[in-house]
Amino acid sequence: MTFIVWDLYLPEVLLALLVGAALGLSGGALQGVFRNPLADPFLLGISSGGTLGAAVLYVYRIGEANAELYLPLFAFLGASATGLVVLAVARGRYGSVETLLLTGVAIANLLSAVLSLVLLYNPVGSEQVTFWLLGSLGLADWPVDGLVLGAVLVLGTLLALHGRELNLLQLGSDVAQSAGVDAARVRQRVLLLAALLTGAAVAFTGIIGFVGLVSPHIVRRLFGSDYRVVLPGAAVFGGLFLLASSDASYLAFPTSLLPIGIFTAFSGVPFFLYLLYRQRRSSPMGAG
Amino acid sequence: MMAAARAIDVADLSVSFDGRRALHAVDLEVARGEFVALTGPNGSGKTTLLRAILGFQVPDAGRVRLFGAPVDALPIRERARRVAWVPQSESVRDDVPLAQYVLYGRYAYHHFLDRDTAADRALAQRALSDVGLADRADDGLLSISGGERQRAILARALAQGAPLLLLDEPTTHLDIAHQLDLLGRVRSLARREGVTVVAALHDLNLAARYADRIVVLSRGRRVADGPPGTVLSEELLARVWGVDADLRVDERTGLPYLLPRRLVSEGPAAPGALGRGPVHVVGGGGAGAPILRALIDEGFRVSAGALHLLDSDAETAEALGIVAAVEAPFAPLSDATRARHRALLEEARAIVVAPFPVGPSNLANLEDLRPFVPRIPTILLEPPPDRPIDFIGGAATAARSALVAAGARTVRDVPEALRAVADALAANAPRSTAGPADRQEL
Repeated sequence: MTFIVWDLYLPEVLLALLVGAALGLSGGALQGVFRNPLADPFLLGISSGGTLGAAVLYVYRIGEANAELYLPLFAFLGASATGLVVLAVARGRYGSVETLLLTGVAIANLLSAVLSLVLLYNPVGSEQVTFWLLGSLGLADWPVDGLVLGAVLVLGTLLALHGRELNLLQLGSDVAQSAGVDAARVRQRVLLLAALLTGAAVAFTGIIGFVGLVSPHIVRRLFGSDYRVVLPGAAVFGGLFLLASSDASYLAFPTSLLPIGIFTAFSGVPFFLYLLYRQRRSSPMGAG
Repeated sequence: MMAAARAIDVADLSVSFDGRRALHAVDLEVARGEFVALTGPNGSGKTTLLRAILGFQVPDAGRVRLFGAPVDALPIRERARRVAWVPQSESVRDDVPLAQYVLYGRYAYHHFLDRDTAADRALAQRALSDVGLADRADDGLLSISGGERQRAILARALAQGAPLLLLDEPTTHLDIAHQLDLLGRVRSLARREGVTVVAALHDLNLAARYADRIVVLSRGRRVADGPPGTVLSEELLARVWGVDADLRVDERTGLPYLLPRRLVSEGPAAPGALGRGPVHVVGGGGAGAPILRALIDEGFRVSAGALHLLDSDAETAEALGIVAAVEAPFAPLSDATRARHRALLEEARAIVVAPFPVGPSNLANLEDLRPFVPRIPTILLEPPPDRPIDFIGGAATAARSALVAAGARTVRDVPEALRAVADALAANAPRSTAGPADRQEL
C-alpha cells in the first residue's frame, strides 16, 4: 500500500499539478503576448516539434534500453528547438505579433508534414506516437517530478513576473512602449520562457491539450483580466484541473489507462462552454 | 542642463517607409509649456513625426532631442518619464476597471517585483479627476462611452507624470462637445502643470482655438509655423489642402476660423461662375438666405442686393461667394449702392424677390426693381402669413403689388421659386458665359 501511494500515486499527483501549472501559465502568457484568446502553449509549433522528436526516437529505436531517459530528452529538444526556430525566424520584421503567429502556424504545419512522412514509411512507431500525442502521466516518478519541479519553479516564476508588461501589451505595442515597456524584448523573453516551460512539461507527458487554452480564460472570468493575477491563477487552476482530470479518469476507467489528454477535453470543454455562454453579456477577451 | 533645454528639438529629420519618404528634413523646436498643434492633410507626416519624437521611428537622417537628450539614447523607461502619448484610440480588449487601467501609466516608475504604492494610487485618482472621471474609477473600460474612454486614455497618459504630452488626433472619434471638452482639459492642465503639448489635429478651427502655435506639414515638409493668426490663411488652405475657404476672425476671441466652401479642384473659385444665370436675389434680414443657398446648390450664377453690411443675408452672400451690392450697416441705400444694384439687375436673367422685411432704409430696393420687371422674368416669394414684412405703413405691400401688376410671378416656397427660375431661363437662351466676376466690395 505504501508502495502504491508513495511510489506510484503521489508522483503522479505532483506531476499532474506541475504539468498543469506549466501549461496554464504558458497558455496565459501566450494569450497575453499574442492578444489572442485562441493562443495556447502549443502555438509556436511546440507540440509538432515535441511529437516529431518522440517519433524519431520510436521509429529509429534510439536508446531503446533507456527509453525513460531518451524520450523526454528528444521530446524536449524537439519542442524547444521548434519554439526557438520560430522566434528566430520571426525576429527580423520588428517582431510583429502577426508575423510571429503566422510563422508558428506555418512551421507547425511543416513539422506535421514531416511527422506524417516519417510515420508513413515507418509504421512501427506510430502507435506509441499516437499515445504520446494524447498525453499520459505514466512516466511519473520522483526524479522526473524533481526535474519538472525545477523547471516550473525557475521558468514559471520568471514568466509569472511579467504580469505588468502583459497588461500594457494588451493596449498595443506602441502604447506599451510609450509607457516604458520594451515591447519587442518583453515579447521575446516571454515567448522563450513559455516555449522552454512547455517543452519541459510535455517532455515527460506528451501533448495534453486544453489545459493551457482554458485555464487562463477561467481565471480571467473569475478574477478579472489583470495579468499579475491571471498568470499565477492560471498556473494554480491548470494544476488542479489536470489533477482532477487524472483522478476522475482513474475513477471512471480504472483499468483502461485512458490517455489524460482525452479526459481533459471531455471534462473541460462542457465546463468551458457553460462559462462562455453563462456570461455572454460580458464579451470574451478579444471580442470587444 | 535639462532645465535649459527645449522640450522638443527636432533637426533635419527624414524618415521613410519602404523607400518612400514620409518626412523630408523637418525641423521643429518646441519650448517648454507650449501648446503646439500639428496639422496637415492626410498622409502629410503628422503621425510619423509624433512617432519619431516618441522614438518609435528610426530616422534616416536627423535627430530628435527631448529636454536636451537624444531620444534614441534614452532608456525606454526614462523616455516614458519624459514623454507620454495619447493615441487616436486604443484597442480595448478587457473590461479593466478605470482605476487599474490608469495605474498602468505608472509602469515606468516600477521595477520587477514592485507593487503599486499608495502614491501611485493617489496619482491615478488625481488623473481620473483631472479628466472628470473620478466617480467612474470602478467602471470597466468596455462599459463607458467613447468620449469617456478617450478621457480615460488621457488620464493614463497623465498618470505617467511626463512633462511632455503628445496627442495623435485625439478627437477623431468624438462628437463636437467631447472634442471641446477633451482639448479644453488638455489646455488647462497644460497651463496649470506647465506640461508641454504637441497635438496632431485635423480640425484647423480646433487647432486655432487651443494651440499657441500651429505647425503645418504638407507631403512630409514643414510648410508653415507660427501663431494661429499668422499661419492660417485662405492661401494656405488652397495650397496645402486644396480647399477654397473663407478666413474669418471671431470677434469675441480674436481667433481666426475657417469656413470651408469647396474643393479648389472642383472648378472655378467663384461658385457658379460658369453656371446658368445670373439670377439676382433681392433680399435682406435673412429672408434671402434659403433661396441664395438653393440657387448656389443648383449651380446657378447668383448675385444679390442691395444688402446692408452685417445683415445676415449679406453674410450668407459673402460666405457663398455671391456678388452683391452692399450698403453700410443700417444706413439708407446710397445713390452709389443703388446704382450698383441696378447694374446687377441689368445683368440678371431672372430675378427672385425674397420675402424680406421692408423699412425706410431698404424700400428703394423694391422701387428700383420695378422698371426691370417687364423685361426680366421676376419671381416674387410670398411671405408666410404669420410673418409681416411691411414695416413702413403699407408702402411695401403697395410696392410688391405693383411688381405683380407689372408681371411678376408669385410663388409660395423655395422649391417653387427654383422651378420658376428654371422655366424662365429655359425660355430665353443664355446671354453670356462670363468668367468669374470679382466680388464687389463696399
